This record gives sequence, C-alpha cells and structure tokens, in this order.
Amino acid sequence: MQGDGLNAANFYRALGLPNKTSLLKTSAPLLEPFRAGRPLPAPEAPCGPETGIPTHDMSLNLPLATALTLDAPTIFPMGDGGGSFIDWLSNSILVCALIALLILWFARKATKNMSIVPGPTQNFFEAVVQQLYDLIESVVGKHMVARVFPLLATLFIFIIVSNWFGLLPGVGSIGWGHESAHGFEVTAPLLRPATADLNLTLAMSAIFMVFWLYWSLAEVGLKNFLNHIFGVKGGLKGMMAALLAPIFIFVGLIEVVSIAFRPVSLSLRLFGNIFAGENLLTAMINLGKDLGLPVWISYIFSVTIPVPFYFLEILVGMLQALVFMLLCSVYIQLSTSHDEEEEGHH
Amino acid sequence: MNPYIIAEAAAAATGVTGSITLALAGMGAAVGVGLVGSKAAEAVGRNPGAFGKVLTIGIIGMALAEAIAIYALILAFQGR
Repeated sequence: MQGDGLNAANFYRALGLPNKTSLLKTSAPLLEPFRAGRPLPAPEAPCGPETGIPTHDMSLNLPLATALTLDAPTIFPMGDGGGSFIDWLSNSILVCALIALLILWFARKATKNMSIVPGPTQNFFEAVVQQLYDLIESVVGKHMVARVFPLLATLFIFIIVSNWFGLLPGVGSIGWGHESAHGFEVTAPLLRPATADLNLTLAMSAIFMVFWLYWSLAEVGLKNFLNHIFGVKGGLKGMMAALLAPIFIFVGLIEVVSIAFRPVSLSLRLFGNIFAGENLLTAMINLGKDLGLPVWISYIFSVTIPVPFYFLEILVGMLQALVFMLLCSVYIQLSTSHDEEEEGHH
Repeated sequence: MNPYIIAEAAAAATGVTGSITLALAGMGAAVGVGLVGSKAAEAVGRNPGAFGKVLTIGIIGMALAEAIAIYALILAFQGR
C-alpha cells in the first residue's frame, strides 16, 4: 500500500516521521513556549528592563487575527511582488473556486443514481430546488420562471454557501503575517469568505443586470420597455397625454438613475453585511485582549462572547442570500409583468 | 460641505467623536426597519392567511431600508 499513494504511511512520512506515532506527543516541543508563557522572539520595538520601557504582556502568545482588509491580498506574498504570474490569485478567488467545487461535488453526489424513491441527498436537493422554484414562480410569474430560475437559484445557493463558509474556524485567521508587539499578527489570511470581496458581489450584480436587460427586452420588446419607463401612465390619451409627456419623460430619467443604481445597491448590501460581520466577529473575539484584561478572562471572553454573534451571522448570511435573490426576481417582475395592460379595461 | 469640517466642529463643540455619518444613517435605518416590521405585524393580524406573502414583502422592505446604513458602515470603516 506504499508507493506515492494517498495512504496513512505516506501521510506520516510527509510530516517527517518514520512511522505512525502520536502527533500530540511529537508536537509537544513546538507547543512548549505557549504552555510556558515565554515570549516569542523579541519584537522590533525596544523594550525591556535595560531600556526602561515596560515590556508588553507577552504571555498571550496566540496568533492575533486582524480585521479583514477591504481588498483581498494575493496568497503568494512571498513572491517578487512586482507582478508575478499568479499574482491575481487572491484568497477570495481561491475560496470562490473551492465553494464552486464543493457545490458541484454535492450536486453530482445527489444526482448520481436518481430514483423515484429518493435517498437522503437527492431528497434534500429536490426539496431545495422545489422551494426555490415555487418562491421564484410566485414572484416572477409563470411566463418567465423557466428562463429565470437557473440564474437566480444558482445565485442563491452560491451566496448562501459562501456566506456560511466564513463562519468555519480557520477562515480569516490562518495565513501569512508578521510579528508585532502583541504576538504573531495575521494580515493576509489564506481563506476568506468569498462574498466579503467587493469584486465578487459587483460581478454577480453586473451579470444579473445584463441578463435582466436581455430578458426584459426579449419578453416585452424594446418599444414596450421604453414605454414602461418614459411613457405616460394612468390611461390618459390625446391632449392630456401630450401635455403631460414632458413631466413623464423627466420621471423616466429619474427612473433610469434608479435602475442604474440597482447593481451598486445589490453589491454593496451583500458585501457590507458579510464584511462587517467578519470584522464584528474578529472584534468580539479580540475583545478581552483589546480591553487589557488578564489573560484567563480574555480566554473565556473570546470563547463565550462571540457565540450570539455567530448565530447572528448565520441568520444574516441566509437572509442576505434570500434578499439578493428576491430583489433580483422583483426587478425582473417589475419590467416584464403583463398585468398592466388589463388594468385599463376595468 | 466638507464632512471633515462637520465632524471636527461637532467634536470641538460637544465632545462628540466618531462617525456622525454612521450615527445618522443608523438612526434612519432603525426607524425604517421598525416601521416595516410594525406594518407587517399589523397586516398579519388582520389577515393571518397572508403570512407568507407579507413575510416576503417585509423581508424585502427591511433589507432595502437596512442597506443605507450598510453603505455608511463601509464609509465608517474607511475612516469617515
């Protein structure tokens, strides 16, 4: 069973151990400084008894996770920095690819042997798809739902998985960093929730707006589309319509501004919620240390205080995905609904 | 007017520091979300069968009202 395969013997060999041993015992020397509370190698700022500047409390020797930065850093910071070949691979892009692969793998697993009486995975997927289809159909209408459903359901599933991905331990707190006065400070995490990057949310909103324009024009035609925005509403005809036309054209211009603002608001809402949520969790976890409390109190605080905020983030993640999808479907419904032509006949 | 001037004036006059943009936006958002919630509760009370539809509209309304405060939150993170 040896060779180059993925098996237990090679796993231990890759770690540098000759055979299977207890990892806890072998890593004991690494954990020594943490257990003893001894300081890590000295920081750059001069401090100590000979300089008279009091040393920082170095007994909390755990890595300190800082808040997420607004722009996602590349995950190859050790490279030349002058634009290496894979500089574009930031941590958000890595997580985006991971989530897409995860969803695809789960979907393949669910639909591999489809049967009339479904197994658990297929059952779960069928329930999700059915609920989403009913929800979108109730908003958009039967004539549009077949075209619109794939994009909207994909947006919902991708956004909700990506939002919840940021709550896993290790996302946002494991990565590259540098030594600082408070211990090892992580400034470029390896994994970061994908929707906490404005690039991703802006891309999703832009793609949706392109599709919205295409679907609206395909459904109602260009003339009706412009009439819907700039036309005289209220069933007026003839002289009154000609008099009121300039006002309605002005109103149409304002409506164009509001339509142009939709991708901005869609992207900023999702980005702001998830980004602020991550920073909130980081602030809550570091609360005890920031207040300068004794070490054992800040340990207890960083475990118990974030718990209600974790539940809040779970709720916010699901809610923001739902709101994104519902708003997209409402925008489609607003410009493709056929009901208005019958209102004048009542 | 320059927002920095307003912020500095507020800080000098009353000792108020921090993001005044976020404070005002948060106040507006909280009032808006509360209004949507109260109207939704009232609607469900009058017609309990419409709970699903009212819930959908209520969630959309709350998210739109809250978005303005989120924009101000991003500005506050950038130091304004």
